[in-house]
Amino acid sequence: MRLKRTATALAAASLLAVAACGGGGGSEDSSDRQTLGEGGNAGSGQDAEAEAPAADVEGATAGGTITVNANVAPETLDPTRAYYTDSTAIMSGLVTRSLTQYKYDAETKEMVLVPDMATDLGQASDDNKTWTFTLREGLKYEDGTDVKAEDVAYAIKRSFAVEELPDGPTYNQTFFLDGDTYKGPFQDGDDYAGVETSGNDITIKMARPFGDMAYYASFPSFTAIPQAKDTNPDAYGNKPLATGPYKFESYQKGQSLTLVKNDQWDPATDTTRHQYADEYQFNFSQDQTKIDNVVLDDQGVGQTTINYTPIAPSVYDRAQESGRLAIGTQPCTFMWYIDNTKITDDKVRQALAWAYPYRAAWRAGGYIEGVTRAPSTSILPPGTAGRETFEAIEGQDGQTTDPAKAKALLKEAGAEGFEIKWPYQTDLPESVKAKDVQAQALTAAGFKATPVAATSDTIRALQSDASADLNIRSQGWCSDWPSGGSWFPAILDGGLVGQEGMPNKAQFKQADADEQQDKILDTLAGTEANDAWGSFDKFISQKYHPVVTIGYGGVALVHGSKIGGVGIDNVRGEPTYSDLYVKK
Amino acid sequence: MSISSAGLENPADALEPDPSADTALEKAVAGRSPVQQAMEQLRRDRVAVTCAIIIVLFVVLALLAPVITWLWGVSWKTPSGDVVLSSTDFDGLPIVGPPKGDFTWEHPLGLSPALARDNLALWLYGARTSIGVALVATIASTIIGITVGLIGGFARGTLETVVNWTINFFLSLPFILVALILAPIVIGYYGSEPGKLTVAQFASLLFVLSVFGWMPLARLIRGEVLSLREREFVQAARVIGVPTRTILRRELLPNLVAPIIVFFSLSMPTFVSAEAGLAYLGIGVTGYPSWGQTINDAMAANAFNTYPLYLWAPILGVLALVVALNLLGDAVRDAFDPKTRR
Amino acid sequence: MFGYLLRRVISGILVLLAVSFVLFTVFAKGPAQPALAYCSKGVCTAEQLDIIERNLGLDQPLLQQYGTYIKGVVAGREINSGTLSLDCNVPCLGYSFKKFEMVTPFLLDRFPATLSIALGASVVFLTVGVAVGVISARNRGKPLDRGLQGFTMLATAIPYYLVALLAFLFLVSKWGLFPTTEYVAPFAESFSGWFKGMLLAWLVLGLFYTTAYVRYSRGSMVEALNEDYVRTARAKGLTDRRVALKHALRAALVPVVTIFGLDFATILAGTIFTERIFNIQGIGLEALQSIGQQDLPVISATVLIAATFVVVSNIVVDVAYAALDPRVRL
Repeated sequence: MRLKRTATALAAASLLAVAACGGGGGSEDSSDRQTLGEGGNAGSGQDAEAEAPAADVEGATAGGTITVNANVAPETLDPTRAYYTDSTAIMSGLVTRSLTQYKYDAETKEMVLVPDMATDLGQASDDNKTWTFTLREGLKYEDGTDVKAEDVAYAIKRSFAVEELPDGPTYNQTFFLDGDTYKGPFQDGDDYAGVETSGNDITIKMARPFGDMAYYASFPSFTAIPQAKDTNPDAYGNKPLATGPYKFESYQKGQSLTLVKNDQWDPATDTTRHQYADEYQFNFSQDQTKIDNVVLDDQGVGQTTINYTPIAPSVYDRAQESGRLAIGTQPCTFMWYIDNTKITDDKVRQALAWAYPYRAAWRAGGYIEGVTRAPSTSILPPGTAGRETFEAIEGQDGQTTDPAKAKALLKEAGAEGFEIKWPYQTDLPESVKAKDVQAQALTAAGFKATPVAATSDTIRALQSDASADLNIRSQGWCSDWPSGGSWFPAILDGGLVGQEGMPNKAQFKQADADEQQDKILDTLAGTEANDAWGSFDKFISQKYHPVVTIGYGGVALVHGSKIGGVGIDNVRGEPTYSDLYVKK
Repeated sequence: MSISSAGLENPADALEPDPSADTALEKAVAGRSPVQQAMEQLRRDRVAVTCAIIIVLFVVLALLAPVITWLWGVSWKTPSGDVVLSSTDFDGLPIVGPPKGDFTWEHPLGLSPALARDNLALWLYGARTSIGVALVATIASTIIGITVGLIGGFARGTLETVVNWTINFFLSLPFILVALILAPIVIGYYGSEPGKLTVAQFASLLFVLSVFGWMPLARLIRGEVLSLREREFVQAARVIGVPTRTILRRELLPNLVAPIIVFFSLSMPTFVSAEAGLAYLGIGVTGYPSWGQTINDAMAANAFNTYPLYLWAPILGVLALVVALNLLGDAVRDAFDPKTRR
Repeated sequence: MFGYLLRRVISGILVLLAVSFVLFTVFAKGPAQPALAYCSKGVCTAEQLDIIERNLGLDQPLLQQYGTYIKGVVAGREINSGTLSLDCNVPCLGYSFKKFEMVTPFLLDRFPATLSIALGASVVFLTVGVAVGVISARNRGKPLDRGLQGFTMLATAIPYYLVALLAFLFLVSKWGLFPTTEYVAPFAESFSGWFKGMLLAWLVLGLFYTTAYVRYSRGSMVEALNEDYVRTARAKGLTDRRVALKHALRAALVPVVTIFGLDFATILAGTIFTERIFNIQGIGLEALQSIGQQDLPVISATVLIAATFVVVSNIVVDVAYAALDPRVRL
């Protein structure tokens, strides 16, 4: 899953100021500081028997308006395209129901996969190549019409239309029947053999075994969309039809979203959601200093406000004193993707891992060590099923910078003064600061540092352009579900090299690695597959060093004194929206 | 915020001037030129003298920034990662110097949050940027303004229409929007060349400020010329065959000195503020310190609560400079404008 | 008079044409390939780019594209969006392929918020500015004059965005003296909500502009008080107050009103800082956001609208000035 990103040049904190998880860390006086625990299980728990309606949140009261502020803005709220941590959390939590869903367990503070529009978590055939979901009775859209299985089938077909509706998840192409040829209903019509309906049953057929389908079905793209209402698919995301407890009242892209109660939503059909507040008011692209202070000052509207942007480090002490700081994990790893076609010498890639100024870059980039950033070793973040703990390079614990070792490696490789070109955003002060520290460290380690300037808008194009004059790309990736299956096939598969949008930013393509991936995808399922991905992580990291992992993250969110039911969704690193309520 | 709004315009000249309206300066009486008279008055004006001293002080500090920082042994550049980590706390606030440490003479104004750069050096080099940018932009827009104003005043027919139209064209472009549109274009061209980027950013900042700063002066000058060219002494000179160039130099320029000096002194402070405002929008120079960027960074670091010194040092810089320039500008205007001369 | 007006209007239209043409050229020839902005993840295959360019009409020669655009403004046109063909009504400012909405109705929606800021702030800076200016002028050179002048000067010496941000952080957030700033439709929703939501923005923006108006009105008041007819009035034995308010002020207000026309247009053209800091969703915020997203039709539209306000107000001001001041002939 992608991290939410900044929408305007003005969103003050950086894109990367957003995510992840991991153990407590720093060597400094973290004694009295609230820090992260181990990554939990990041949503790998399942409860197929969860019953509707959902039990009330303890002490919850109805009424009031909940204000949600952020310094970023979702690129789109179209359910098919929603693939960022913030857009999926908002849509799945409040507006669009999908076949399955995550439910927050307040006792364990874990997210658990439960049935949503479907009656269970799906019935798979023995070979995991056919999945059947059965819709509940009594599901309605906001306009009072019934939700039909055909609508879900249409939504699934719609998610193949990656050209018309880009940016969504892409597992359809990898796993679904004819995923490589069917281009969605707008180009290839309604005729798709991979999805069938019969009564309330929806059957999905796969081209290769897909054991994680139940998780994938929790994405907003597995909602219901009536084909008749989808007359202008581009604009559907401006006012998607609600099936959840809240519906769009007004939406100004990049700026604000007002949700009001959907009176057609029936709690008796829903295992997870509540309808406590009368209204949700989202304000996007806000000044970070402003939103941090509004909540911490706790005056007026600030009392009923929650921020989904993690706090700036400088207000951390205040936030902790206020007792209104929620800390949680997010299954994300931040990486420097080395362009393996341009930095071909493994010694140079190892030298980079020693040269990188991990802790100083966190400090400069506006992260709190041990809270919003933690040292990372494996590519898979803590909480991922089957994850192995190992060091990609012996002694490199994810926070040690050793210019001498880097220099020695460069010398061995005969690559002293090797030029490193990586992008940064001139309009985000944190990005500029991190760049300064990175440049210093690279130079000290015997590299030639050439930071490439971009803006928060252009960096996306730059990092997705394989022909751009860069040899490092910096980005984070988050689990779509807690297994390596939502990592390597999506970001480090040799088959992705050369694809538009550059999903494999490391341009990593090794025959033995791809062979292993195919083997896992085609022959393994369940725990076996999870463990195999864990070993695969270790294999490529130790043999090829395709990326430098520069930190796991976490979230530190603040809320006003009258907001109750706050929990951290550790699948996305976002607030658990549907449990929130306004205290009387 | 428009850079041409804050007091640059003489209200009476805001419209298309009527050639026959007589707003010219009164001729000097006592045999001294108006400029001499004005300078005399300025010298006696205590406020003006104080302001001039403050401004000179700022300029000297800015010019000597490299020397002072060298003598003090500080630098505005980012120190190494180890120093960053050892000088700042987990939340980025410095532990060497305020707010979490004690005052130290090594860094009299403290260190910046997160990057641990020396604030004294940042302030001095910031003054350099602010004053430099404002000065160059003011000079550039003054030159453009005088040129276009003179042409507009003397030209007739098509050329006159073109000049008028050009002034209107630039007046109607929204300054901030154009600046915002330009910034990513510059980065697009020079993004991969760090050295050139800083230069290009400086150049585009100066370009935006000067291109949007000259119109008020051009209108003032044009108005003055329009009314002067019909006056007897100019007409007489023309009749006896004095070349246009000489008329310009001898008869007109002395009369234009006043509006030019007033414009100059009132433009400077607007540009100092404009630089700071643009920095907030993420436009401007990124590889070099400026007051605007320090203020912006301080706001982002919640310095108004946690580290006031970091926020107020550059604000006081801007404040003192802008007020001094404005007061001096007012005094200059009073001294040169016969109607308000005391 | 009529001939003059006609000339001004034609010249104004030419200015607007030039503004839009410059924008067009910058976007078409600039480094940002416009079609690229519409690709998923910022990257397209050559064929996809071709399709987008055809949809946007970017494969046509520049002049022809420009012609289509202008035709749309004057007569409306049809726009292709993927599979659909949409009618864009007069004045058609294009279709945003980022927001998937027609630009004109969409910006019209944002306009009341910006208009509210401009109106409220104008009331503040006109009343306060002129009042302080008059008081200053009547006490010229005295401590009161110097004090008032100094205060307004200090208030504007700090960059505006900082004043606004600090005002929000302290007055709204920390002390809760003002309610949260927001735009509420005054007639459709709640008038008092509108007033409360906008109040701080009005005061801060108003006070920022006040300095200039203190300057203008003080200057012209000083001038007016020295005029012969004022001296005559005083000689006739009228009280100072009566002279100042009845005779001098009227004359002094003329230039102030003309400057006001231009400033009002500037505020309408987009109060970016005010809208951003006080979270008021008007034209300025929209411009800012569309620049961030390279949403070219919206950027062009906001710049063009801004230019239109300035051009129109310029003409209005000149005509008004001529009407107010008999010495000016058009």
